[in-house]
Amino acid sequence: MNSPLYEYGLFGEGASLIVALVVGFFFGLFLERGGLGNPHKLTGVFYLKDFAVPKAMFTAILVASSGLYLLGDLKLLDMTRIWIVPTFFWPQLVGGALFGLGYLVAGYCPGTAVAGLASGRLDALVAMFGMIAGSLLFAVVYPALEHFYMSSGLGTATLPSVLGVNHWVVIAIVVLMAGMMFYSMERFERKSH
Amino acid sequence: MEKNSFWSPYVSGIGLGLTLLATFYVMGKGLGASSAFSIFSVVATQKIDPEYAGGLKYFSRYLSGGSPLKDWMVFEILGLFVGALTGALLSRSFRLKFDKPSHMTGGGRLFTALSGGILLGFAARLARGCTSGVALTGGAQLAVAGWVFVIAMFVSGFIFAAVFRRMWS
Repeated sequence: MNSPLYEYGLFGEGASLIVALVVGFFFGLFLERGGLGNPHKLTGVFYLKDFAVPKAMFTAILVASSGLYLLGDLKLLDMTRIWIVPTFFWPQLVGGALFGLGYLVAGYCPGTAVAGLASGRLDALVAMFGMIAGSLLFAVVYPALEHFYMSSGLGTATLPSVLGVNHWVVIAIVVLMAGMMFYSMERFERKSH
Repeated sequence: MEKNSFWSPYVSGIGLGLTLLATFYVMGKGLGASSAFSIFSVVATQKIDPEYAGGLKYFSRYLSGGSPLKDWMVFEILGLFVGALTGALLSRSFRLKFDKPSHMTGGGRLFTALSGGILLGFAARLARGCTSGVALTGGAQLAVAGWVFVIAMFVSGFIFAAVFRRMWS
């Protein structure tokens, strides 16, 4: 087992930036081709008009999730060297809710705004300037928010570890939920068109 | 609008999932987006007032090494732009425009894009990432963070869409 490759020192920091460009290229290509650079499609889910976002998002989560845990179980990937997104429950709940409002109002999220600009949308550029200003705003008020920002930390908690079940049980539940969601979205779209 | 020229969202989702999986395998971490904007914010603030930027505690995390722009996420975002541009050009869907809901004025759209963007930038810092870094990456890792964020984001989006019913429809 010698992966994650970067973590095992197969290449250095300079080469990792080339990897970033390549990975980003495919990220952008799939976002744009899935229609996720288009604010009408991006916000369609909130008006039950276009479900491209949840369809692409949960498909991606399922593919990456099953692949990640399969590689880990087969000992082809050292899971202890994977940087797990840390959980801070309340900041992420409040942040997620504020983010949902921002996404609805702007019509983009950060990555899709870049895809939007790349497809010629200048409103996405305005949203990007907003994000830069919003990041500064956070840094300015950070001293007052730091206590909340650091609160309710659960470290690298995952659903399997919190629920005390095998990761495949959680993945099976996600497959089932996504399947039901996709089925109802397809039915709903066929009915309303 | 460029109707039906897009790929199926399921196909796009499989591509995004494989890209994320490859990133886990090669780098040991996932995708992201919002932290690049945080870095752009640091660099812009530094250009205007280096002393003020240096005094902001939250920004100090970006100012320990060399140039903050020599960052993995910044390069990933550059790649994202080129990849999306390639997709738009090859499918002939590239159009220079100020995209907005048909009933909205240009000034109105300027306001929503800017204020929505400010909210996004602020919220992503509070949540330690955005749709890419927390929802997609964390969701795929089955990290609690990812699922808390994704549920909060969709619930809030639905509630505010009911409030602002005419914003995008």
